[in-house]
Amino acid sequence: MPVKWLMHWQPNQGVTLTTQILTEACQCVESQLGGAKDGRWKTALTYYRPALREASASGDLPRELLGVALHDQLGSYYFLLRAHRLILQADSSMQALMDKLQSYKPRVVLNFEGFQYRLGDFQVRVGKCVPSSEVLRGIMMEVEYLPLSSIEKSRQILEDFFDIWQDTVKKRSLPGHFILVEPNFADYGLQDHYTPQHTAVQYATCMTQLMAAVRN
Amino acid sequence: MECVVQGIIESQHVEALQILLQGLCGVPKERVRVHELCLKSGPNLGVVPSEVRLLCDLAQPTPSWTVRHVGGAMRGAGAEQISVLVRTIVESKVGHNVLRFFYSLGYKLDHELLKEGFVFRFQRGAQITVTVTSANKMPKLYATDEAVPVTPGIQLVEITAPAAAENYSEVVAAVSSFCEYLAPLLHLSKPGVSMGIVPTAAAAAASLMSNSGAKTL
Repeated sequence: MPVKWLMHWQPNQGVTLTTQILTEACQCVESQLGGAKDGRWKTALTYYRPALREASASGDLPRELLGVALHDQLGSYYFLLRAHRLILQADSSMQALMDKLQSYKPRVVLNFEGFQYRLGDFQVRVGKCVPSSEVLRGIMMEVEYLPLSSIEKSRQILEDFFDIWQDTVKKRSLPGHFILVEPNFADYGLQDHYTPQHTAVQYATCMTQLMAAVRN
Repeated sequence: MECVVQGIIESQHVEALQILLQGLCGVPKERVRVHELCLKSGPNLGVVPSEVRLLCDLAQPTPSWTVRHVGGAMRGAGAEQISVLVRTIVESKVGHNVLRFFYSLGYKLDHELLKEGFVFRFQRGAQITVTVTSANKMPKLYATDEAVPVTPGIQLVEITAPAAAENYSEVVAAVSSFCEYLAPLLHLSKPGVSMGIVPTAAAAAASLMSNSGAKTL
């Protein structure tokens, strides 16, 4: 499948995140880069915690389990245990199965959603990160290069796109900039050939970076 | 949800059962070789204990994994009156690292079995699956090549059919009706309700074998 890179908005120190940034980013894609709007998209990330009989005695149970439902893999579900560098691919019914087990309970759901655009060989998705509380937590983008599946082979092309994108956004004088999410795929045993598991790992990494940006 | 009945048959009569099933189903049998690992939640995990089964299909050239959770059976006066168990079931195909995943979550191996035999899958009022297997235990952890039968001379027959809340009574009827065809060879009942071996099984098996022999001539 085509390679995707994720990036997220890093606001300047002390600046509150607003949907204005999202509007401006979409306008950049449409007006400056000539992107054709192609529909909507939504990826959901669920943060699970172990249910313990005795709260104080968690032992060596993982403190978090992440579940990812990707917008372009509706029949699949991905579980990540970051502490163990483990990613499991499953059918979408796996969510219902975990619900039946009642050993890990969903605590927070983050929805990544927005519009997608076609720009020649690229498919670009611009969206917001919104928990169920509806408070805006982040702005992020997916840039997909359709002709290539090799991460290494597409690296230069995507870096060039990123440079063009940064220049385009800079002209709007917005209080922040986009940062590339750069997870270590090898940690999870993932290879150069791009797969949905790579995307799930990027979303998990993006979530951590978004949370850190909000705290700062 | 699924409808389930089970029964046991002596290994010496399995060939006759196969002939009967071949005639009834009209489809070829498929080989079954499944390594089943039953995992249970560790002592502090979950407000209530939980159990999950990992199934590794070893019959295909590339092993594939499924995870399965068997839920509670339907209850009530209606449920008691029917001879078929109706229970909730959730299954998912999963990647090869599923065992490491559940161990990392805090699940422990309770027991493992190697199930070998055959299966018929066909449509007859419902999507019915008839599995005939011997259950084998491993002397050493994961040692499927060294498995030995748990009950030598006896095999398990299981009939399942997927069902939904809207149609389970039709599925129950389809399964019950199919079970009647197998009555000469085996008793089929709800799991956990043991009916033993059919006394006329030997005669029925002999009849099936001799009929089959006559046909091939």
